Amino acid sequence: MSEVLVITSGKGGVGKTTTTANLGTGLALAGCKVVLVDTDIGLRNLDVVMGLENRIVYDLVDVVEGSCRVKQALIKDKRYEGLYLLPAAQTRDKSAVNPQQMMKLCQELKEEFDYILIDCPAGIEQGFKNAIAGADRAIVVTTPEVSAVRDADRIIGLLEANELRNPKLLINRLRMDMVKRGDMMSIDDIIDILAIGLIGVVPDDEKIVVSTNRGEPAITDDKALAGQAYRNIVRRIRGEEVPFLNFNEDQGFVDKLKKIFGLKAN
Amino acid sequence: MEENIINFKATVNGLILIMREEDDFDTVYEHISKKLESSGRFFKGASMSVKYRGRKLDAEQEKMVSELISKKTNAEIKNFEEDTSAPEPTAEETEKVVEKPRMKRVFFKDLEEGVTKFHKGTVRSGKLVSSEGNLVVIGDVNPGGEVVATGNVIVMGSLRGMVHAGADGNKDAIIAALCLQPVQLRIADVITRPPDTKETSKGLVPEMAFVRDDLVYIESFLPQYK
Repeated sequence: MSEVLVITSGKGGVGKTTTTANLGTGLALAGCKVVLVDTDIGLRNLDVVMGLENRIVYDLVDVVEGSCRVKQALIKDKRYEGLYLLPAAQTRDKSAVNPQQMMKLCQELKEEFDYILIDCPAGIEQGFKNAIAGADRAIVVTTPEVSAVRDADRIIGLLEANELRNPKLLINRLRMDMVKRGDMMSIDDIIDILAIGLIGVVPDDEKIVVSTNRGEPAITDDKALAGQAYRNIVRRIRGEEVPFLNFNEDQGFVDKLKKIFGLKAN
Repeated sequence: MEENIINFKATVNGLILIMREEDDFDTVYEHISKKLESSGRFFKGASMSVKYRGRKLDAEQEKMVSELISKKTNAEIKNFEEDTSAPEPTAEETEKVVEKPRMKRVFFKDLEEGVTKFHKGTVRSGKLVSSEGNLVVIGDVNPGGEVVATGNVIVMGSLRGMVHAGADGNKDAIIAALCLQPVQLRIADVITRPPDTKETSKGLVPEMAFVRDDLVYIESFLPQYK
């Protein structure tokens, strides 16, 4: 059974694209056939984060306009079996595509793939409407900042108005040390406001920046804490029950040792 | 719309009287008389030929109008006749004419010379600069930016975006840049991308790309860099 997941946030810069790249790679590593669709026409990034920028010949706009077949536009990621990217056009704008075309495209992709991950642009305008048009489920990404949470709240309202019930929340860039000092909103604070189910928490991790710049998703990095968090979210998307990571900064030496040897359940 | 019943238009050696076909002669005559009443003095003492168009006049009518103009303007009317030259094309028609010579499926061949577009400034991400002919960019082309030309592409700066020369099928087209590091390089239907291994930046090394046997070759065009 295939599923269309839209990854959205409202606010920009909270990690939609990074999340899409990591979850897509994770699902592909788990043996699923996955396609990532970048709907951020005019400000595309997913191809850069995936390191596939230089392979683009056709894009989403070419597909919906009928200038090429879907298969021609799909870029196969040679590093991961079963992972494909449908890039956005860069020299066009959001109005080049409409929700009906997206719905049709999603239906078409559903026949081929197990998971269709849609990277939504920031904002609530045309691009957002296109991105959610064909979606079955939504993941709302937010960071522990008042402004991001405020935008996430608005997005959840819009998703529900568009019949996308039960969106899942992904909290990105959490810094446990700051939460402890009371300088950052905690997971509970955010859930209190947004009142939707949590699908995962990704800690702030320098390795994300490194991997994003390199075009290699962090999920493949066994040592990265963020990678671990994303791996857990992938398992949750596939329907497994996985306990949440414990981001306790002041772990004892023994705990760290256990973690290194994989004895500690994360 | 009474104003439009008659119109005068100045030409190099006289006047053109423009009338409407649907108005009867008496109305036209009356309007010419009125119009010249207000502006006729301007022509005083002048010698000119007058042509008319838009409506047929018989010999008698021609004579009447000619005399009228002569009387009202005090100008010497050398001759009065129908304007048989083709009406000047309107702005809209002019545009159509300009577009016509472009033929589809015949690709741009002038690689040594021909139409060239100059683009001044950086081509940033999301910008598409295209040319029906050669294209010269005075500035950089950043990643995400696209330059497309049916002829050659010359970038007087760093080429870090997508470039497509000979876009309508000319494999003889070349691409040259002061620093050639495109995300993707296309000449006609040959598409290449740089190797995945990161190369160390050599600084500005002017290079040129061309196609031989469906393979893209890149080489420096300055002997001192070879």
